[in-house]
Amino acid sequence: MSAAEPPKEPVKYVDATVRLPYRYVAGDYRATYLRALKDKTILGSRCARTGKVFVPPVVASPESFAPCEEFVEVADRGVVTTFCIVRIPVIGREIELPYVAASVALDGADISIYALIQECRPEDVRMGMRVAAVWKPDGERVGSWEDILHFRPTGEPDAAPATYLDRL
Amino acid sequence: MSRAAAVVGVGQTKHASRRADVSIAGLVREAVDRALADAGLEHRDVDAVVMGKAPDMLEGVAQPEQFLAGAVGAHLKPYVRVHTAGSVGASTALAATTLVQSGLYERVLAVAWEKQSEGNAMWALSPNMPFTPPLVAGAGGFFAPYCRAYIAKTGCPPHIGPVVAANARDNATRNEYAHLREPMTVEDVMSSPVLWDPIRFGETCPSSDGACALVIASEAAAKKGPRKPAWIKSGCSYAEAMWVPGRDQVSPRAGRICAKAVYDKAGIRDPWKEIQTIEIYVPFAWFEPMWLENLGFCEVGEGWRIVDRGEQKMGAHLPVNPSGGVLATNPIGASGMLRLGEAALQVMGRAGAHQVPNVRNALGHAYGGGAQYFAMWIVSEAL
Amino acid sequence: MTRLRNVAVVAFAQLPTVAHDPHRTSTEMLYPVIRRALADCGVERGAIDFQIAGSVDYMDGRPFGFVQALDVMGSWPARQDLHLEMDAAFGAHYAWIKIQTGEIDSALVVGHGKTSEGDPRRILNLQLDPYYQAAIGLDPIATAALQASAYMARTGATDADLAAVAARNRTAGARNPEAQLREAATADALRETPWAVEPLRTGYLPPVGESATCLVLAAEGTAERLCDRPAWIHGVEQRTELQTLGARDLTRSPGAQLAAEQAYAMAGIGSAGDADVVELMALTPVEELILHDALGVDARTAAARVNPSGGALCAHPTMSTGLIRLGEAFRQLAGRAGARQVPDARRAVVHVQQGHCLQQNLVWVLGRERRWT
Repeated sequence: MSAAEPPKEPVKYVDATVRLPYRYVAGDYRATYLRALKDKTILGSRCARTGKVFVPPVVASPESFAPCEEFVEVADRGVVTTFCIVRIPVIGREIELPYVAASVALDGADISIYALIQECRPEDVRMGMRVAAVWKPDGERVGSWEDILHFRPTGEPDAAPATYLDRL
Repeated sequence: MSRAAAVVGVGQTKHASRRADVSIAGLVREAVDRALADAGLEHRDVDAVVMGKAPDMLEGVAQPEQFLAGAVGAHLKPYVRVHTAGSVGASTALAATTLVQSGLYERVLAVAWEKQSEGNAMWALSPNMPFTPPLVAGAGGFFAPYCRAYIAKTGCPPHIGPVVAANARDNATRNEYAHLREPMTVEDVMSSPVLWDPIRFGETCPSSDGACALVIASEAAAKKGPRKPAWIKSGCSYAEAMWVPGRDQVSPRAGRICAKAVYDKAGIRDPWKEIQTIEIYVPFAWFEPMWLENLGFCEVGEGWRIVDRGEQKMGAHLPVNPSGGVLATNPIGASGMLRLGEAALQVMGRAGAHQVPNVRNALGHAYGGGAQYFAMWIVSEAL
Repeated sequence: MTRLRNVAVVAFAQLPTVAHDPHRTSTEMLYPVIRRALADCGVERGAIDFQIAGSVDYMDGRPFGFVQALDVMGSWPARQDLHLEMDAAFGAHYAWIKIQTGEIDSALVVGHGKTSEGDPRRILNLQLDPYYQAAIGLDPIATAALQASAYMARTGATDADLAAVAARNRTAGARNPEAQLREAATADALRETPWAVEPLRTGYLPPVGESATCLVLAAEGTAERLCDRPAWIHGVEQRTELQTLGARDLTRSPGAQLAAEQAYAMAGIGSAGDADVVELMALTPVEELILHDALGVDARTAAARVNPSGGALCAHPTMSTGLIRLGEAFRQLAGRAGARQVPDARRAVVHVQQGHCLQQNLVWVLGRERRWT
C-alpha cells in the first residue's frame, strides 16, 4: 500500500454521534407516585416540620430540610398558576404545536406540577383557570406519567390570584 | 477582611453563531491569548487556572477542561472546572477571585466558553427528565411562564420587552465582539414570531459560540501591571432550592440575598445613585425590568418604568448592558463572565465605542438554573 | 511558610458503596449523609457557611443534573454555593481555599452520582479529546492499560507485582464495612481473573459502584465546637498534566509529585514517610505503584499504612472516591476507623485524581494537631 497522500483540503470537521444508554432509577418515592397513577390517584409527601405537601413526593423538604415521609393523596384537579404557549419544536418530541405547557397547583398540594393543557384553544388559557386531569381509560393505565393524557379546563370560575400567585 | 483583588486583563472572542474557523481549543485560546496580552503577561506568570462552562452535552464532550489543559496553559498548575448552569461564567470569575484573595495565588486565569454550534443546543437545554412529562421546551419554555407572571403582577405594558430588545441590539452595534450587531427596531421585535408565549423571537438571545477570559491578580501584582486595573470590591454567589412552596420565581430571593451581600461588602448603600452602569444577564427581554427590581434599583413593580422612561439607555442615568448583553451574544458558558468582564472594562475605561462615561462602580451579574444560581460582583476604579 | 488559617475536617459520612441502589436517586442518596454529618457536628444546616458539590452531568445522564441537589442540601434560604464538575475532593480543596480568604469559616462538601445508571466506560471515553483520542474508542480501562504496559516495560514490573498490590488492597477492604468489595482475595486468585484490557485483569480494577458522601470543613475557632478530634489540614495542593497520552510519560506522575512537594512543604514534612496513613486514589495497581514513586511512599511499609480502607479498588463511586480518601484520613486521625484503624495515627497523606492516567492530582497532608500555632 503506497504512502497516503495528504488531503488536498485540510480536515475541517469531525463528525461524532454520541449514543449513551442510561437506565434511570425512579427511587421508591417516585415509583410509589407512578404506581398510584394507575388507580387515578395522585400522591404527594408531607413535610414533618411544616406540614406542606409536595407533588410528586420528595424525600426531603427543599424548604425546611426535614424529611417528608408521610404520603398523602391530592386532588386530580387544580389551578393553572402560569403557563406558556410553545411554538417551536424540540428533537425527539411529538407533541403537536402550538401547545400549552402550564404549571398546575393541584388542590391539596403546596407546589405545582408541569402539565399539558388541551381541549381548549391556547389563547383561551389563563392564569387562575381551573383544570382537571384527563386520564387514560381503565385498563390502559400502567402506572406511568403517561396515564394522565393532559389537563382540560373544567369551566369553573377562575381562582382568585391570591390563591395561586404564591404557588407558581 | 479579604485581601484585595483586581481584574488586570480581559479577553474575548468574536462571538458568532458558528466559529467554524477554530476548534474548541482554538476558540478558548483566542480569549486566553487576548486576556494575557491585555494584562501584559505570559502563561508562566499565571499561577492557577479556573475554567467554567455549562452542560457538556452542548458539545458532546465530557469534562472538556481535561483535554484543554494545554490550550489554557494549565500544565503543572492547579486547575479547576466550575459548572453552575447559566451563571457559570460569573461564578468562575468569582472562584478565580477567591483563589487570589486566599493569598495563595498571585495571578489566576479565569476562562469560560461554549461552542454550542457543535451540538444541538435546544436538545441539550430541554432535558427529558426521567419519569416526567417532557414539556419544557428550552430555557425560553421554562422562563416564559414567569415573564407572563411578571407582566400580570405589575401591569407591565406589551412594548417593554421590545423596547429592551431594540435597545440591546442598538448597544451591540457599538461592540465589535458581539454576535448580533444589526440593529432592530421596536416594530421589528413586535412583528417577530412568538416562540413561547409571551416571548417573541426578537426578545430572545441567540445561540452563540464564544469564550471570555479574565486575569485576576492580587493587589501587589495588579499595581505592577501596565494598565489601570478594575478593583473587585465584592463578589458573591448564592443558590437556592427550586421546589419551595411560595418561592418567588419572578424576583427570586436568592437574587435579592446575593445582591444585598454584594452591595454590603462593597459599601454600596444606594445602587441607583452609586453604580453608573450594569451588565446583567438578560436572555429574554422581560428579564431586564425583572432584574432591575430584584437587584434593588427600584421598588417592586417599577422596573418596567425605568425602561419606559428610557433611563437604561446609553447616555441616560443607568445604562444597562452597554455591550448589548446576552440578547446580542450568548455562548452560555461564557455569558456570565462576559457580564463581569464587561463591567470591569467599564471601570477600566476600556470599553471602546460602548464606554459609559465616568464609571466609578459597575455591577456584573449572572443567573442560572431555574433562576436559582446567582453570581455577581462590584468592580470599581478605585481600591 | 506563611501562616495560614488552621482548617480541619470535622465530619464525614457516606453511604456504603454498592453496585446499584434501586431505591434512591442520586440526590435522594445525598440527603441521609448530609443529615448524618450535621448530626455528628451537633448543628443545624444554617450553621455551615458554604456548600459545594462535585458531580458530572454525563455521569448523571442529564444536563444540569446537579441542580437537583440544591433541594436536598437545605438550600433555603439561599446559601453561598458552588458546584464543580469534578470529584468532590476538589470541592473540598476549593472550600479550604475559600476559608483561607476569611470570608467563611465552615463548608459542607458533597459528592453524588449514580454510576450504575449509565455505562462509565462509554461515558468516560467522552472525556478524551474528540478529534483524536475519543475517536479511536479508548475508554478509561484502555488508557489505564496503555499506562500499565508502558510502566511494566520500563520498570520490569510483572503481573505478579500487580496482583500483590491488588491483593493487599482487598485484604484491607475486608475490614471496611463501607467498601463494596469486602472479601479478601489472594494474589493468586486475582491472577486467575480474565483480562479486562491486557495487562489489566478484572481483579485489578474497581467494580462499578455508587455512593453519596458528605464532608464538613471548619476553621479553627469553629472546628473545636463541631468535633472533639478534628483532623487538621497541614498542607494541600493540586497540579494538572496534559491529557494527550502521547505527550506524557505515562509511567510517571510529575503532577502528583509536584502537588505532593507543595503539600509537604506547606505541611513542613519531608516525605510520605512522615505519615502513618496514606490513602491513594489509585484506580489500578500500576497507578498505585506510580504514586508510590511520585509521593515518596516506601513500598516496604505499604502493607501497614497504604489504603487501610481498601482504596479505590474496593470502592469507586465516581465523584466521591476522592472525598472518601479524605474522609478515611479523618476517620483514622479521629480514631473512628474501627477494624481498619491504624494504631495511633497522627498524620495522614491523601491523594485524589481526576481524568485519565492520573492527569489531575490533588494531595493533602492532615494531622491530629494544628499546623500553625
